[in-house]
Amino acid sequence: MRRLMGFVMALALLVAGMSPALAQQKSTLDKISETGTLTIGTRTGSPPFGYVNSKNEWVGFSIDLVEELIKPALEKKLGKPIKVEKKESTPPTRIPLLSSSAVDLIAETMTDTRARRESVDFSLTFFVTGAQFLVKKGSPIKGIKNIDGKRIAAQQGSTNARIIREKAPKAVLREFPDQPAAFQALVQGQADAYTNDGIQLAGLKAKSPNPAQWDIVGDFFSYEPYGMAMRKGESDFRAVVNAGLMEGIESGKFFEIYEKWFGPSGELPYPMSPQVRSFMLLQVVPK
Amino acid sequence: MNYKFNWSVLWTGESGQWLLSGLITTLELSVAAWLLAVALGIISGALRTVRVWPLRAAATFYVEFFRNVPLLVWMFFWYFAVPPLLPQGIQDFLFAYGLEFWAAVCALGVYSGARFSEVLRSGIQSIPKTQLEASVASGLTTFQAYRYVILPVALRIIIPPGTNESLNLLKNSSVALTISVAELTFQTRQIETYTAKAIEALTAGTLIYLVLCVSIATLMSWVERRTAIPGLIVGGRQRR
Repeated sequence: MRRLMGFVMALALLVAGMSPALAQQKSTLDKISETGTLTIGTRTGSPPFGYVNSKNEWVGFSIDLVEELIKPALEKKLGKPIKVEKKESTPPTRIPLLSSSAVDLIAETMTDTRARRESVDFSLTFFVTGAQFLVKKGSPIKGIKNIDGKRIAAQQGSTNARIIREKAPKAVLREFPDQPAAFQALVQGQADAYTNDGIQLAGLKAKSPNPAQWDIVGDFFSYEPYGMAMRKGESDFRAVVNAGLMEGIESGKFFEIYEKWFGPSGELPYPMSPQVRSFMLLQVVPK
Repeated sequence: MNYKFNWSVLWTGESGQWLLSGLITTLELSVAAWLLAVALGIISGALRTVRVWPLRAAATFYVEFFRNVPLLVWMFFWYFAVPPLLPQGIQDFLFAYGLEFWAAVCALGVYSGARFSEVLRSGIQSIPKTQLEASVASGLTTFQAYRYVILPVALRIIIPPGTNESLNLLKNSSVALTISVAELTFQTRQIETYTAKAIEALTAGTLIYLVLCVSIATLMSWVERRTAIPGLIVGGRQRR
């Protein structure tokens, strides 16, 4: 009897696991049109891409791209106003959130990778960065070459942790579910360095109580192109998202938003290099 | 638009190895925490029933303080808040040698100990008062009466709820991933990171937890039958 019960339960689980896939026969565009809502998954602790600011507002560069470029494109396509609803997503939850239809678009700091492309589709690249290390000033760590035996904090489910494992197998990885916990471990000395994409480390450093205490070290040891993720096989929806981004890049609106967050007076000064600018422009295909 | 299943991610690459190492860490963590929890539970559960009020008060304080704060908070407490209180030398030693594992053991053990304590107390209080009186009358000290009469009976009575708490402890061990302990749930997420196949990885993790818990429950129901005290049990399947 017990054995039979076990079998039945296992079966129930399998069905439960498959049901999100079976249930979603409706296309994302239809879903947005019917509900009048675009639900995005974004971060709460990754300044300046998606975070809760000191006025307790949920804002960021990725969120602005959705609000100011993608939302108008969707409204044009559907012929009616829609609203954007935000939900929190983290590296381990973002793909499940998408495939269960809990969110329609991941707009945060997600790196476009070939492995991920087997499960989700990505928009154009909207930001380019690479992994570095955040260390206490004066730390002997200078880059990925000398982290053997050191305790390196990383975010669970990020591409950085994976690359450390491959390129520096002697480093001791400590993986935390989110950035605040990983940073706390660095502050207290449980970790010797914290690795993440350079831009996120810069954001974290700028937001920390004492920015001068921290150094961002090392050359980029990975290439991290950020894209917005969508459910697989939604080419109509993806075309609208991409059209929104392309129009923004073409009209210069994209660069204005970039300036707002990363310009000299922005949240986090991080000038766009000429290569990145031309890369952005080259992604735009003709009308 | 449908999610494409690819179950082979579970046995190709390093996935199998990760799941195995996660399973081992989960078991190590759960066993260590269980021993701590049972020890604390027996001591404080027994103390909550004694006549001396300061001992009773201390045990009550322990139970109410530790069971009424979320386990997640205890994880952060033992990992982030305790080390800075220790001398630098000990701190460095802990940071270098698996602080996260022992912090998780403390968090899980002390938290579950408070819950075990209540289970044991209910077991002790279900024993007729006359047993204690008879043991004391026969010349045992109160300590001896607890050690040789009350606790052996109470521990047998509480096997079903004790099993419940033990299974909770095993499942709660997954909270340790928040302080970077690479246990089973952590490893299923790791597979997700590498393969972007979340549903497959989570299903594998779920099945492993299920099999573990069902095995423990089966084992404990065997122990329950073996140790049942004839004449004290009302119904259910009994020892043949």
